[in-house]
Amino acid sequence: MALMILRSLKIMDEAREAVFEEAGDYTGAKLAMWLFILSELLLFGGMFILYSGYRYKNPVDFHHASRELEVILGTLNTIILLTSSLSVAASIAAIQKGQRKLSMVLLMATLALGLLFLANKGFEWGAKIEHGIYPNSPTLLARSKGEILFFGLYYVMTGLHGLHVLVGVCVFSVMLILIAKGTLNQRRFVPLENAGLYWHLVDIIWIFLYPLFYLIT
Amino acid sequence: MKSDGATGSIRPRISFYEDHGKYRGILSWILTQDHKRIGLLYLVFVIGFFFSGVILGFFMRLQMLAPGTIMKPQTYNSLFTLHGIIMIFLVVIPAIPTIFGNFFLPIQIGARDVAFPRINLLSWWLFISGGIIVVISVFTGGGPPDTGWTFYAPYSLRTTVNVPLAVFGVFVLGMSSILTGINLVTTTHRLRAPGMTWRRLPLFVWAIYSTSWVQILVTPVIGITLILIIMERFFGVGVFDPAKGGDPILYQHMFWIYSHPATYIMILPAMGIISDVVPVFARKKIFGYMAIAISGVAIAAVGSLVWGHHMFVSGQSDFADILFSLLTFLVAIPSAIKVFNWVATLHKGSIVIEPPLLFCLAFIFLFSIGGLTGLIQGALAPNMHLHDTYWIPGHFHYIIFGGMGFGLFAAFHYWFPKMFGRMYNRKTAMRAWAVMLVGFNIFYFSMLLLGWEGMPRRYYDYLPQFRTLHMTATFGSWILIAGLILMFANLFRGLFKGEKAEDNPWDAATLEWQIPSPPPTENFEKIPVIQHGPHDFKELENNG
Amino acid sequence: MKPEEEPHVTKYQTYVLVWVGLVILTGTTFSVAGMELGGWTVLIALAIAGTKSGLVLNYFMHLRSERLLIFKVIIPLVMAVFLVFILLTFSDLAFRGGAR
Repeated sequence: MALMILRSLKIMDEAREAVFEEAGDYTGAKLAMWLFILSELLLFGGMFILYSGYRYKNPVDFHHASRELEVILGTLNTIILLTSSLSVAASIAAIQKGQRKLSMVLLMATLALGLLFLANKGFEWGAKIEHGIYPNSPTLLARSKGEILFFGLYYVMTGLHGLHVLVGVCVFSVMLILIAKGTLNQRRFVPLENAGLYWHLVDIIWIFLYPLFYLIT
Repeated sequence: MKSDGATGSIRPRISFYEDHGKYRGILSWILTQDHKRIGLLYLVFVIGFFFSGVILGFFMRLQMLAPGTIMKPQTYNSLFTLHGIIMIFLVVIPAIPTIFGNFFLPIQIGARDVAFPRINLLSWWLFISGGIIVVISVFTGGGPPDTGWTFYAPYSLRTTVNVPLAVFGVFVLGMSSILTGINLVTTTHRLRAPGMTWRRLPLFVWAIYSTSWVQILVTPVIGITLILIIMERFFGVGVFDPAKGGDPILYQHMFWIYSHPATYIMILPAMGIISDVVPVFARKKIFGYMAIAISGVAIAAVGSLVWGHHMFVSGQSDFADILFSLLTFLVAIPSAIKVFNWVATLHKGSIVIEPPLLFCLAFIFLFSIGGLTGLIQGALAPNMHLHDTYWIPGHFHYIIFGGMGFGLFAAFHYWFPKMFGRMYNRKTAMRAWAVMLVGFNIFYFSMLLLGWEGMPRRYYDYLPQFRTLHMTATFGSWILIAGLILMFANLFRGLFKGEKAEDNPWDAATLEWQIPSPPPTENFEKIPVIQHGPHDFKELENNG
Repeated sequence: MKPEEEPHVTKYQTYVLVWVGLVILTGTTFSVAGMELGGWTVLIALAIAGTKSGLVLNYFMHLRSERLLIFKVIIPLVMAVFLVFILLTFSDLAFRGGAR
């Protein structure tokens, strides 16, 4: 009797160990991605600290400079990014439900929207640069200190954000290929989910950039 | 008859040195995913960078031996800048988490490796890359940076030396740090063995865990600050440049928001080592386990609120001065709790005098001096006089070198037999310790006195009235270096000629001592089921 | 993944509803910007942005359906850290007095 109990205890231990070791850690992968997101939030957070300090010191200049930005384009870009978050979230839901083709279509939509965002941004920047407004330009340096700071922050913050969008677009392209090949599927989709988390982070940063740069009244 | 009982795959019982995995030779090291090998890779390079830092320091002290000069002022500026960058970013911040956190945290929680072994390898490659970039900056683009490791604007924006590359190197090192932090937090949350509750974790794990959170949360702030310096230098963005409306004091805020908590990244892991080692050599449970665990978290938290104490005379508002000074006094409390608890652990313990304990005792003594001097400079009125004098490097070398450094050396001497399967010469180790302790105090106490007398820091020459103290300091530094050489030579010798070590030479109770020395790949034959805490020594069991 | 880790699969409908909310809030913040609200403008803009972020975090990023304590803690944690950094920095900037 004792031997049977001991044997079953040992089997339970081994079973626990097997499950413990062989079950890939979905929660762990998600946790790590979230921790990375925290670090990105503070990366941009640092610049938001600078933004708030300089806006506090130069409220009028920031207001004037903000009016030179294309509000319509900024608002359009906001909608674009929000929609791309919808499409990637739906893409992940689709793959979880085993709807591979739908997942790919939605992911392609996300990609397209991301590229559209970048195109708009490029257009905005191009227009400003043509008017001589860019860091260290003679036109900009002739303006007030607050305006110089505004545009300095504008270029750096939207530039860094744009870089993150670009990275997201590249990552999604890879994900698209992996789904097509079947490497990512209904059983194994955490890389896509993590890529989605990253993209939502990029969206959230823009959610704050938008009013702080385009809507200063 | 001993029953084997293993099901599924058979774990190799050979040491992790012999089990080289997919690759051979050097590739089996630099492409490894084994946390123990990665820990050793860090060990080699951290020690290498440490020695470069010491050599730079040696030349600094040579310059300051007597009034007059043996080098150009520009050279001296670059010496202290590089000494700071190397020691802080390539030695003190990474050392304990990347060497001992990597090697021992998984074992101490009963895991086979960290949560993400490939990211662990990436962290090491980023560390090496960052180091190489910093070294290259010395020889290119106008020469090595001369701004001090603090890179203050606007000078860092204007000086014609290679600030961008050096700063980029530090940025890469920051990425390495963040990834290590993410890996170790996830590992601690997800890979604890059955029965390894948070309250049974070794205090070293608690310390590394708290440190990792700080790494994740504050490193990005210096990341963005360094990027902004590069942007300013290449594109003239204007964010820190007064000519364009930028505020240099804001630079200091951004810089110290990271760099002050960074000092806690430096000291918390060392405190974790003290908390693990002292009970073993007092043969007694730590006094106040939860107090030590939580005080580590408290230090991490409150320590993130005090950065303005580096800026009392920078021009920041009086209100900020007062606020930061108050917060600085508060952060002393959890540190004091730890010191009290370590001493209480020793009290009425059965003390075993061995090198690891000696380094711990030195830590407690030197860290206390450093901490107390910190209180003095944390008060606004004295700070007026002490800021930018030798008092400050005196203070921080007591904390960083006396604290973190001696904690690191304690870890070397404690875990050496486990990592290498051999024992070093304990008598020589104790002699090296004594030499270092004497040299250290002659050196750095002289600095405190120099600062008190008004000797400014980062000066390449000085007035004759400071001559005696400078000479004493330099002599002290030579004694200290002699002790360091003796210590490392002894350890190095032990590596090859030392006696074979037992699995548990110190009779400790944490998990790493229950497996062979050196450990096998994947650490455990079977993942253990934990039934007791980290300080359940055999004597305590026997005494009931 | 372990059986107890099976993720909560959100309905497409929920996502679309959240998106509609986000678009409405964007429109709101756009209109509010046109109004004369003085010092309140920034706070309202931030409140709206915060609400939008909350929707993204909770629904698109599934924070709402996470069970473990750690997931509930991390966003408040990073908000607290950021808040502290800004407040302490402003303890300097807002009280400089004398020559700026």
